[in-house]
Amino acid sequence: MKKNKINKEIKIGFVLISSYLLWAVAWIVYSHFIKGEITSPYFPESDMTKELLRPGVNGFMLGTDIYGRSIIEILSAGLAYSLGISFMVSFTTATIGIIVGYLSVTGNQTIKILSDLVINLIFIFPSILIAIMVMSVTGQSFWGLVFALVITGWPGYAKIARGETLRVMNISYVESARAVGVTELRLFTRVVIPAILPLMMVHIVLGVSGVIISEAALGFLGLGGSEYSWGGMLAIAKSVLLEAPYIVIILSVVMAGLIIGLNLLGDGLRDYLDPRKSFSS
Amino acid sequence: MESSVRKFLYSLFTMFLAVSAIFIILRATPGDPVEKILGPEAKEEEIVKYREQLGLNESLGDQYKNYLVGIVSGEMGKSLFKKKDVTVLIKKHMKPTIVLAFVSISFATILGTVFGIYAGFKKSGLFDNTSRIISLVALSFPIFSLAPILVYIFAIKFNVLPVSEWGSFAQGILPVLTLVIPLSAVIMRVARNKLLEESGAPWVQVLRSKGMSDLSILRRLSKVCMPTILNVVAIQLSVVLAGTMITETIFDIPGMGLLLFEGIQNRDYPVVQGVIIYSTVIYMGVYFIVDFVNEKIDPRISA
Repeated sequence: MKKNKINKEIKIGFVLISSYLLWAVAWIVYSHFIKGEITSPYFPESDMTKELLRPGVNGFMLGTDIYGRSIIEILSAGLAYSLGISFMVSFTTATIGIIVGYLSVTGNQTIKILSDLVINLIFIFPSILIAIMVMSVTGQSFWGLVFALVITGWPGYAKIARGETLRVMNISYVESARAVGVTELRLFTRVVIPAILPLMMVHIVLGVSGVIISEAALGFLGLGGSEYSWGGMLAIAKSVLLEAPYIVIILSVVMAGLIIGLNLLGDGLRDYLDPRKSFSS
Repeated sequence: MESSVRKFLYSLFTMFLAVSAIFIILRATPGDPVEKILGPEAKEEEIVKYREQLGLNESLGDQYKNYLVGIVSGEMGKSLFKKKDVTVLIKKHMKPTIVLAFVSISFATILGTVFGIYAGFKKSGLFDNTSRIISLVALSFPIFSLAPILVYIFAIKFNVLPVSEWGSFAQGILPVLTLVIPLSAVIMRVARNKLLEESGAPWVQVLRSKGMSDLSILRRLSKVCMPTILNVVAIQLSVVLAGTMITETIFDIPGMGLLLFEGIQNRDYPVVQGVIIYSTVIYMGVYFIVDFVNEKIDPRISA
């Protein structure tokens, strides 16, 4: 196999994502072991006497929000929450997508038609609206949010997985494996998955940034699953834009950094896997 | 002609499926809307009354039938909060959303196409490199964080533009800008990459070796890129729709987004359902129109 060069996008994206992951881990350690207990982790609490302190005042590095919570603490809690939910949702949606995509290629006629229809339909749906509708029925709950994001997220993966499965099915070693009578399950887990996984990883990385944005959008509309949703914090910060514009700016920049990192990593990986399609260098 | 009719029937069928899918998702979602509307301290008789009002006490088949009839006849129930027909409310709020989305899409398509094609034409030049970094950054600020930043810069810091309300030209600038920035960044990236992909094609080399000027070649190249760009616009429509609704809540524009947002806050279930169904139907209609136009200008798609 030809060796491709690790490009600039992957390097910058990797460094950015690693720093955010380290930050999240540091926060989890801090909130679960240092300041709190494993059974009752520490969460930033409101203290109205300290509302809207400027960065640097009273030892608050980034100041406080309108409830008097330290901004660096709510940012950290939001990061851990945001990463947790987006990894969980992306992993679930990708798994469903790969299985449905595979079945839509190898299954019988009924399965094929049915999965094609469902995938195409939900794919052109305005997914955030569906998520809003689901959240308005379940109310603001963590699992409602996961359900809403999963149900709108998997068709994108299924569409890609179907295309990829079709492609690898025609590669000679896959044909050989089928010819010697490898069982369906073994073919799927040992032959097809390893072949389509690299490209799926690219879409999972880009998908994580999509979930982070969708989750924040729902949080912004008041349909988040936690009070530590970055979107919810932005909605609150927006109301004090006149008095404390720095809150919106800090939140936006931190969020944008994470999204830039994921997008760079995803784009870079795609170019790395398929340099012919790369026009970015 | 015959294929157009078939396509029209197919899109109607897809809309029917989409509307049915909304019904299925709503009923499959765990949780009871009536309990959510009334809260945990609701009395039993109140719950029964609301169920009746929302038509939730009937069998699933009847509910589905009423639901479909309601959409076609425009009878989507009454708002629980404003005591008005949902359809009336939606009609009142439709115009700002359509205007905002249409203006933003037009501007973004023009800007994105021109900048993208220019960037691709002068590949690795100063403009190309700068615009690529700018578009990457622009795409990383979601609308709900971009809008407050723009408000801060233009309305608070420099005080040159009004922030909220809707009606005058100046009041429209910031909302449109909020929507145009990310959308034109997407279109620009696509236009640039498509131009680079096509400029390596044999026919371009032939024209070049025959001595055709760069400008004439660029004109022909741009024409080839148009279907791809329009296709991206079609795919981005749902993003624009959601973005428009979020933008409305930020700038207090009395459109469908604000109606939806108020519906969510007041737990006004019929309004939320109505807005989502109507916007899905409108969105799909526009999607099919763009798809149809695309096919007319690019015969390769229909082949």
